[in-house]
Formats: sequence, C-alpha cells, structure tokens
Amino acid sequence: MGGHGGRSMSDADILISIRGLKVHRGGVIVLDGIDLDVRKGDFVGVVGPNGSGKSTLLLTIIGQLQPTEGTVSVFGETPGSMATRGRLAWVSQAASNIPNNLRITVRELVGLGTLTWRNMIRPNRTERNKRIDDAIRMVGLEDLEHRDIRHMSGGQRQRAVVARGLASNAEILILDEPLVGVDRESRKDFLRFLENLCRNEGKTLLMVTHDHTAISRCTHCAVCIDGNVHVDEEIEMSPNSLMLSNFSNGINLKESFSVDLLQQSKEVK
Amino acid sequence: MEPFSWYRDIDGLGDLLILVLSPMLEYLGQYMPGDVFPIYFEWEMFQRALIAALLISIVAGLFGTFLMLRNLALIGDGLAHVSFGGMAVGVAFGSVAPLWLALLFSVIAAILIYEFQNREILTGDTSIAIFLTGTLAFGLVILRLYGEGITTDIEAYLFGSLNMIDSDSLSMIGWLSIFSLTSIAILHRGLLAMTIDSVAARMQGIPVNLIGLWFSITVAAIVVSMVKLVGALLVSALLVTPAATAQIVSRSFRGCMLWTQVFGFSATFLGIYFAAELNTGTGSMIAVVAASQFAIIGLIKATVVGFINQKKLIETREALVQ
Repeated sequence: MGGHGGRSMSDADILISIRGLKVHRGGVIVLDGIDLDVRKGDFVGVVGPNGSGKSTLLLTIIGQLQPTEGTVSVFGETPGSMATRGRLAWVSQAASNIPNNLRITVRELVGLGTLTWRNMIRPNRTERNKRIDDAIRMVGLEDLEHRDIRHMSGGQRQRAVVARGLASNAEILILDEPLVGVDRESRKDFLRFLENLCRNEGKTLLMVTHDHTAISRCTHCAVCIDGNVHVDEEIEMSPNSLMLSNFSNGINLKESFSVDLLQQSKEVK
Repeated sequence: MEPFSWYRDIDGLGDLLILVLSPMLEYLGQYMPGDVFPIYFEWEMFQRALIAALLISIVAGLFGTFLMLRNLALIGDGLAHVSFGGMAVGVAFGSVAPLWLALLFSVIAAILIYEFQNREILTGDTSIAIFLTGTLAFGLVILRLYGEGITTDIEAYLFGSLNMIDSDSLSMIGWLSIFSLTSIAILHRGLLAMTIDSVAARMQGIPVNLIGLWFSITVAAIVVSMVKLVGALLVSALLVTPAATAQIVSRSFRGCMLWTQVFGFSATFLGIYFAAELNTGTGSMIAVVAASQFAIIGLIKATVVGFINQKKLIETREALVQ
C-alpha cells in the first residue's frame, strides 16, 4: 500500500511485510501473488467467503504454513523463528476452542498467556500477576475474573481469550473469526473494544472474519475473493453478492489496502 | 510382624517407603474401623498394597484431568490391551523381557494416538479403539501361531492384583510416581496451555511437540507398568472417574485438580475398606466406589441445578405476569 495518502509513516513501522506470496495446500493454489504491509497500530480486517484463503494467510504469517513462493517477514524475521516468539499472539475462536469439560476461571486462562519456554518452570509471580491484572483490566472483566468461563456469554468468553493474548505482551494480535458465537449487540461492543486496543494500547491487530460488516471499525480492510483487486466498492456489497460471486482458488490483496475505512466509517456516522 | 530395627536391609525404594511409612501406618491402624481393615496398616504385605494404591491414585488423578480434556479417557484400557499385544509377541518368541516389548508397543501407540489427534487425522476415541482391537487381535493371532495359546502368565499382565505387590513392584511404582510427579509439576502449565490452544501455545514459545511427546511416553509408561501390577480395571478407573467427578463440583482448574485428589484418595481408601470387610477384589471395589461417587455427586448436582432452574423459571414467569 506504499505511497497512499493519509498516513505518512516510515518503513520502520512496517511489522508484517508480504511480497509475492503464493501458498499451496494439498496441491491447490490457495494464495496467489499477495503483497501486503501491516504497520504498527493498524487494525486490519481480512474478509471473504469460506475457502477464500483467509485462514491460510494467517497460518502463513504465524509460520504454521510455509510459502511456496514469495517472502513473508514479521518484525523483519522469518515467521515462527525464535526472534518472533512471544511478539505475536494467536486469539482463537472462544466458541469452538475451549473444551466442554474444562473448568477454568478467567484469571487462570489469562495466566496461561504469560507462559514462555523460559518461565514455564519457575514463573515470576509478582510480574506475572501484574501482567494478568493489566490484561484483565484492558478487556474489562475485572468483576468476573474468578468466574468459570462456561458461565459467561460468548462475548465475555472471547474477551477472556483476547486477554490471554494481551498477557503475553505481544505487539501483534492475530484474531481468527473472533465474532463466532457473539450476539449482535455484544459484537458492536467487542469491535469498539478492539479498536481501542489499537488506539490506546498501541497494539496491531489482524482479524479474519466472514462477517464483512465487522470491518467498519478497522483502519484497513482486505477482501479475499476471486483473485481480483478489491477496493471500496466491494465492501459495500451485500453478504449475498459476496457469497454468490464465483470465487476460485486464488486471491489477490494487491492495493486492497488503498481503502482507509476508518475515515469512511467516520463520515458515515 | 518383625520388630522395627535400623539394621534391616533396605533393598530399593519399595523397602525404603515401607520403612519410612510403616510406623505412621501402624499408628493410624489403631484408629481404623472394621475387623479386617486394620491389617492393611499392620502387615507389611498389605501396607505395600495400601501405599501402592495411594501412589497410583495420586499419579492417575493428575494425569487423568489432562486425559479427560484431550478426550483420551479410555487410553488406560486402550494401552493396557496394546501392551497385551507386545507381551504376546514377547512370550511367543521367548523374549527375556516381555514387559519391555509391552512398553515399547504402548509408547509407540501412545505417540501415534497423540499425533493422529494433533494432525486431526482421527479423534482420540477412534484411534484408541483401532489400536486396542488391532494389537489385541494381533497378540491373539501371534500366540496361536507361535505360542501355546493364552497362558495364565499373560492373563496376569492384564489383571494384576493389588494384594500381590512385592517389594520390587512397589519400588517400580515409587520410581514411576517420582518421575511423573516431578515432570508434571514442571510441565503442567505448558501442558494445560497447549491442551486448550496449541497454536497460541506454540506462538508463545512453549515447546508443544516436546511436551506432547513427554506426555505420551509418560502416560504409556504409567499405564503399562501399573496395569501389570494392579490390573487394567483399577488404573483405568483411577485415571478417569475421580477427574470426571471433580469437574462436576469445581469451577476452576486448580479446584478441579484438588478435588480429583480428594475423590481419588477417598475412593481408594473406602474401596480397600469395603474390599477387606466384604472379602472382594481390591481393585474392582475401588473402581466401584469411584463410580458410585460419580453417580451420587452427579445426582446431587442435577437435583440442585434443576431446583435452581425451576426457581428461576417461576421468578421469570411472575415477573412477566406483573
């Protein structure tokens, strides 16, 4: 997105940089020639129908999948290398990822975020407790910190999982479909809360969602679909037309970041 | 009963445990109810059984909580039968140490079950079922072809008896408990983190593959050696039931671990008491007590929850009417 107006930032602010990325999964090209830069403080929403390669993109960024062609660098390093450990956090879908027969309080769950290979054996209690307190405060679950996670609503649960990521002191949070199982009303609050994380806490967020209305709070948006370049018009499409369009295996995010949605959404309001 | 003396030969950890714990057990024995039960606190043979059962309940409880979370509740039974396959191969070909073959089979099976689950090829229960039936059948076929059919020797490996524990067996249980308790004390946080979300755990820098490997090998070692000594029934029951009962009553993970120990300990204690008084098998009685605990606690919980829900329903109805 280099060179577009509005934000004048140096290259030092680029945290994630992707050039000409191609990824094959099971012999099929899922991502085909992607260029993408994510800067510090961005809230990037990646939308697109099922099977469009959103999750593949995330898994490549965290180093779970290897690129077939092209390069991905995170903090200037190879994804998944020791230097990036602890600087990215994975926020999974709370609705499907927490086992049913697990009894765990919010505080215990958030505490797991403070673990690294270094302090796994002997955690530093004071520092650990401070980080847990901070993370719980940031997501606004102070009153519920000793509550069993099963007895909470979908939105609260997802906040707890975000807090786990925050407790690791990661600079980039990667959210995989965080809105599944969260009802409409809490969805708004949750998105506002994510926006505040970027603005006030200086976190960088990368969120994958199939709900394209969710990106109204994002500073940038990438539409994964059909191998075409998607600019602001596409975002106005109804969910139905998004689903109906005949998408193939490839996607292309080139220039998709020329949309500054934050500006737009403010004008709408 | 021989008199206490410091000159006694100490031969392995089993003897040491008896030496250290027997004065305490003898003291407690004076206050124990029942006609037969107090001998578990007085006779060395029964002291060994009591200590072994309590050690197994502690270890099984700690690992059982994690097995339940990973949907591997039946792994105790599964690996017991896998080890039967290894044992059969060992016996049929006249191996000197069939137990080592059993352990090898079980460790391989445990690692494969873990990897299948991790790579989302098969769920835990499906792969346990495949390994259980496959290796059991393989063992039977091998025995028919090369051995003399099922011997009592092989049966003993599947249905050991708590009351037959000798000093060497107690040593083995002791060492295994020490190894598994220290390692789980070190690794339990990482294990919990990766059980909930392995992707997030890996990104934090937790050595997910290494912990997974350690977990599979340790579970296999615990199951195989303890099954051989006290029987598949007791190990399986202690691996699963107390943990399942604990998750009914607790609200936090820490609470769940503590309650598992409470239920495991009480089931073992009461099981041995009833077995002694009613003259039944010790392992099966412990399993029966553990299952009864689950049933009773579950029923109480269901009644209480049902009552609360009913109350809430009436309150909402009244609020709606007004």
